[in-house]
Amino acid sequence: MNSKDGYWNPLVSGVILGIVLFISFMVAGQGMGASGAFSRITAQITYLYDSSFANNLYVAKYLGKGNALANWTVVEVFGIFLGGYLSAILAGRVKQGIDKAYNYPTYKRLFFAFVGGFIMAGATRLARGCTSGQALDGAATFSVGSWIFMLAAFGTGFIIAPLFKKQWGI
Amino acid sequence: MYPLFTTGMIDSNQNLLYGLIIGILFGVVLERTGFGSSKHIAPIFYFKNLKVSQTIVSAIVTCATLIVIASYAGWLDYTQVFIPETYIWPYLLGGVLFGGAMVMSGWCPGTAVVGFASGKIDAAVFMLGLLCGMYFYFDIYDSISDFANSGYVGRFTISDLIGGDIYTSSLLVTIFLGAFLAIFMNTMKSIRDKKEKQ
Repeated sequence: MNSKDGYWNPLVSGVILGIVLFISFMVAGQGMGASGAFSRITAQITYLYDSSFANNLYVAKYLGKGNALANWTVVEVFGIFLGGYLSAILAGRVKQGIDKAYNYPTYKRLFFAFVGGFIMAGATRLARGCTSGQALDGAATFSVGSWIFMLAAFGTGFIIAPLFKKQWGI
Repeated sequence: MYPLFTTGMIDSNQNLLYGLIIGILFGVVLERTGFGSSKHIAPIFYFKNLKVSQTIVSAIVTCATLIVIASYAGWLDYTQVFIPETYIWPYLLGGVLFGGAMVMSGWCPGTAVVGFASGKIDAAVFMLGLLCGMYFYFDIYDSISDFANSGYVGRFTISDLIGGDIYTSSLLVTIFLGAFLAIFMNTMKSIRDKKEKQ
């Protein structure tokens, strides 16, 4: 199952991921997500600092049950962290570092990581999800919107990729 | 009858426990595929390695096929499955911004969690950006909510669009789209490989 770089063959991974996703639908009636947890964590932190934030139009719907973190996706994303950590430890791949081309300046790489995260946050709110909760879950359950999102995302990615070539040394 | 939670076979605490287990499995698969490093994610945009598209396409086709089998056999109530509702314009703009942000950062929210767990500082910084960006979105939501809710067509599936049912049109079109993507990516990669050799 491992290819020569020590990782699973992506086609095999995809089949296993598809089965996990199917189990998720069979058990919870929903697929796996990720961005929703970040949104809820932000809402909860902000609310703890300033309770008037409960009146915010977007945050209000999270606080219906009192705590924005009492949610399936939040628990599931905590699981992603545990599973990722467990797997990386067992493979000897936990190592502090920054993914970039070796000669690319660190401050630039971290700047783009931050700005990318900042932009992506809003993108996931507009699109009601990310690669997991929108693209993967929706396409596997035949949602037209998920294909719109996925094709727009990858299409844009291919078009602007040359601008960030140096970052990866590709 | 499935889904267990929406048909009342398990309570919400049990559902959360299963959610934790499903998340762990998801994290393991992502890490084992190499998505704990943006060096395995970013190359997709340069057609250098196709890990991302191969994993996504084979996961979609596998899960879609299992859902259709389970629905056909009467185990799964497809109408009880949560499908994100479609908002055409925000999905288009969201997709464009998402793609740009993914190239820029090398991460998406799920893979960043695995990257963070593997010790990647850029993943941690990306996650901080995500949290700040969420706050910014909440703050401006009042003024953009009209756009964010535009182009609404509800739960809108392939069979709603072109007719037929999930056993025929939905699954067939999904397999077709998956195959199209796979062929497109392979063609682009071989063009790139040829250029590289010259």
